Amino acid sequence: MNSVVLLLILSVYLAVLFFIAHWAEKKENGKWSNNPYIYSLSLAVYCTAWTYYGSIGVAADSGLSYLPIYLGPIIIAPSWILILKKIIRISRVNKISSIADFISLRYGNSRFLGAIVTVICLTGIIPYIALQLKAISETFHVVTKTATSSNILDDTTTYVAVALALFASYYGTRYVDASEKRKGIVTAVAMESILKLVFFVIIGIYVTYFVFDGFNDIYEKASLLKNFKEKNTIGGLPQAINWFLLCVLSMFAIFLLPRQFQVSVIENNRENHINTAVWLFPLYLLIFNIFVYPIAWGGNILFDGKDVNSDAYSLLIPQLFDNKTLTVLVFLGGFSAAISMIVVSSIGLSTMITNNVLIPYNLIGKLKGNEQTISSRKILNSRKIGIFSLIILSYFIYRFFGLDYSLVSIGLVAFVIIAQLGPAFFGALFWRRGSRLGAVYGIIVGFIICIYTLLIPYSIGISNSESTFISDGLFGFHLLKPFQLFGLDYLQPVPHALFWSLLFNIITYFSVSVSFKGNYRERNYAEMFVDISKYITNHENAFIWRGTAYRNDIEKVLVRFLGEERTNRAMNIFNVKYNIDINQELADARLIKFSENLLTGHIGTASARILISSVVKEEKISLPEVLKILEESKENIIINKKLTETSNELKEITAKLQNANISLMVKDKQKDEFLDTITHELRTPITAIRAASEILHDDDEIPEELKKQFLQNIISESDRLNRLIDKILDLEKFETGKQTINPELHNLISTIENSIEPLQHLIKNKKIEVRIESNDTIYAYYDEDRIVQVITNLLSNSIKFCPEKEGLIVIQVTTYENFILTTVHDNGKGIAENDFEAIFEKFYQSTNQNIKKPIGSGLGLAICKQIIEHHKGKIWAQANIKGASILFTLPKNKTIEN
Amino acid sequence: MIIVSMILLVGFNLPIVLLFDSANNFLGFPVVYIYFFSMWLFSILVSILIVKRYNE
Repeated sequence: MNSVVLLLILSVYLAVLFFIAHWAEKKENGKWSNNPYIYSLSLAVYCTAWTYYGSIGVAADSGLSYLPIYLGPIIIAPSWILILKKIIRISRVNKISSIADFISLRYGNSRFLGAIVTVICLTGIIPYIALQLKAISETFHVVTKTATSSNILDDTTTYVAVALALFASYYGTRYVDASEKRKGIVTAVAMESILKLVFFVIIGIYVTYFVFDGFNDIYEKASLLKNFKEKNTIGGLPQAINWFLLCVLSMFAIFLLPRQFQVSVIENNRENHINTAVWLFPLYLLIFNIFVYPIAWGGNILFDGKDVNSDAYSLLIPQLFDNKTLTVLVFLGGFSAAISMIVVSSIGLSTMITNNVLIPYNLIGKLKGNEQTISSRKILNSRKIGIFSLIILSYFIYRFFGLDYSLVSIGLVAFVIIAQLGPAFFGALFWRRGSRLGAVYGIIVGFIICIYTLLIPYSIGISNSESTFISDGLFGFHLLKPFQLFGLDYLQPVPHALFWSLLFNIITYFSVSVSFKGNYRERNYAEMFVDISKYITNHENAFIWRGTAYRNDIEKVLVRFLGEERTNRAMNIFNVKYNIDINQELADARLIKFSENLLTGHIGTASARILISSVVKEEKISLPEVLKILEESKENIIINKKLTETSNELKEITAKLQNANISLMVKDKQKDEFLDTITHELRTPITAIRAASEILHDDDEIPEELKKQFLQNIISESDRLNRLIDKILDLEKFETGKQTINPELHNLISTIENSIEPLQHLIKNKKIEVRIESNDTIYAYYDEDRIVQVITNLLSNSIKFCPEKEGLIVIQVTTYENFILTTVHDNGKGIAENDFEAIFEKFYQSTNQNIKKPIGSGLGLAICKQIIEHHKGKIWAQANIKGASILFTLPKNKTIEN
Repeated sequence: MIIVSMILLVGFNLPIVLLFDSANNFLGFPVVYIYFFSMWLFSILVSILIVKRYNE
């Protein structure tokens, strides 16, 4: 393919990326740039050109060993929910903008430690960036079938590198505050992650199903090649130990690589995006890895015996079949993988260089004297230049040192170097005693071992026969052979270096930390890091500081770096948060920490500390004192928590008691009323009985007829008393829930007829006509005895109130969809409308009824109501032209509970 | 979730991987690949399940 055409395609592709970054940056709080999927996909910046081309190379040449690099991250991914959340919280409250900031802040704002971390990162990552540029350049030449030009200005890939450097330095430094989110870059990276995956899967499917005839076909042809079996098994215990060490290595890398720290921590918008990342990221890696094997072995079959670079199989296979479109797509995928790594890494590194080396060691004095706009511009420019020169430097390294090793080996060396930060980093999260000296010496010792066992041999050249360094060891001591240190001879160079360097690193870190106590500031930050969940909302309180400082001085420093407006806004927030009087002149520990935080994003933790301490006068506090204060504040927090808990409990109990009291009072009142009425009702018949019996007792000469009359009265009154007591008991049972009903399927019409039967005698006496208007059979679920009681009650009321002449009672039964409605209507004197509800209350007797002796007990309708309601029905009174109507419903189906 | 990580750490390393250390054909892949990929997929499913149940 013509280089000009390919360059054109590349520029269009880059322009699209520019556009996406620009669009995402412009959109305020866009759903598109701030969601868990974009976050998870941006983590896939882990998959660089190394994954895209290198894995295939490894799978083809040495088999399985490409896998541990992905197994480490997926092993640790589920525990992100705890560990990564903790890191994100710490970084958010402290406005941390890089891993160097993170480590140096934890170990007492140490400037030196920040610088060491930066140096380690630079040593590891610059060759790694160079590697990506190498991948772009080489694949470019593969696609265009041109040779690399020896003149750097003639080579088209040089211009690609320059364009990349410009893109990264423009979009990577939009804000002075490095802890601000870079939505544009993140969205573009996520987009590239999708593209590289899609293109990789396409080539995978192409190789598997178009070039070959499915996975089985590849397997059968590949199994005939030599070494197939050895390459596709782990192959024994020593190899399994190598395997294990590589898993550990990649586990460290997923946390510690500057680009991973950048996308997973600094660019995280919401903690709960992690919940999606824990499964989406492993899924992404899985899909990527499934097609590595068929492409690698497909390539091995096709190019068996030919001298080709197995890293480029994914390009060479479609080229072999002259499929130009596919070749370009694969190239674009690899290009995406490379540039997202280059851009994100260079942003992270340049922030570290400016915030942890340049500003604290050099620029800070100059910046202090400047106006805000000038210092902001200086900081931004130094970052821009940083990004640009990092990329260009990497390109030169690639061009002049050649980087003869495969993609994977250089990447692994970078991983081992970065892994030296591991002990100090994880110690920062979980171990309070970890000290600055321990971290510094641990990292240095580990790094020296890395240099000895990896960097020196690699730069001499593994196969360089002139040097005896590798084959015989330093000064001819066999125990000092860099690849078999102390005689450890069954590990490969990378796991070997990792093992020794980490071992000594960890031992040094722990032993120095335990032997020499750190200063109070370290201990203070240790507490804030380890117990972040406790201090998340008011971490300024956890900062211990004693001395004299004036608000004015501090504000002046802030204005110089943040500008008047931002400083005022921040100060207002602070005053409101801690309820501080504006006129207060002295600053306290909280304000010191707050202002250090504000500056941290701009100039890094170490410089922020230097700046603030230049305007305040701090008194030294001894370590025991700090521990005591921390202990006290911890106790206070616990006591406070307990107090709030107890007071909440008390509040709940009080509320419950109040409710209980109210309901008791209501019940009491009801009981009083009930007792009043009930005694009255009971007393009436008793009085009558007593009067009659007294007369009978005292007067022997009463005429026989009168005596009979009195005895008759006594009998009827006792009956009434009996009925009354029965009803009261009935009602009481319903109200307390002791009464149960047993619904069964009955014919309601025959139930009504049965209820009329015993009343026939009364009806005849008053010459009343009773009519039933309905079908012959209407079935419903109810307790027959109880419904008989209801109908009898309603009928006797009607009979009672019917006129002496031409009395009429009509019973209508109508079926509806879900219920059956029964109406009992009479032509009596009717019910006053305002009595419609009251008649169903206990002992209610209509007012105009009291003129004479009350006719009923006043409990009948109340009992009816209870019965009907227990059947899940309703009962109510209705106005009528003449007379009264009482209606009730019964459900058709068996919905009644007992 | 920490337990899932532990299980994966053990499952992807010695001595358990050596149990599946074979290049025989299974669905067109050497057995050891199939072991890794299925373990991998299993961990994804378990993670989804746990996250959905406890964190939302």
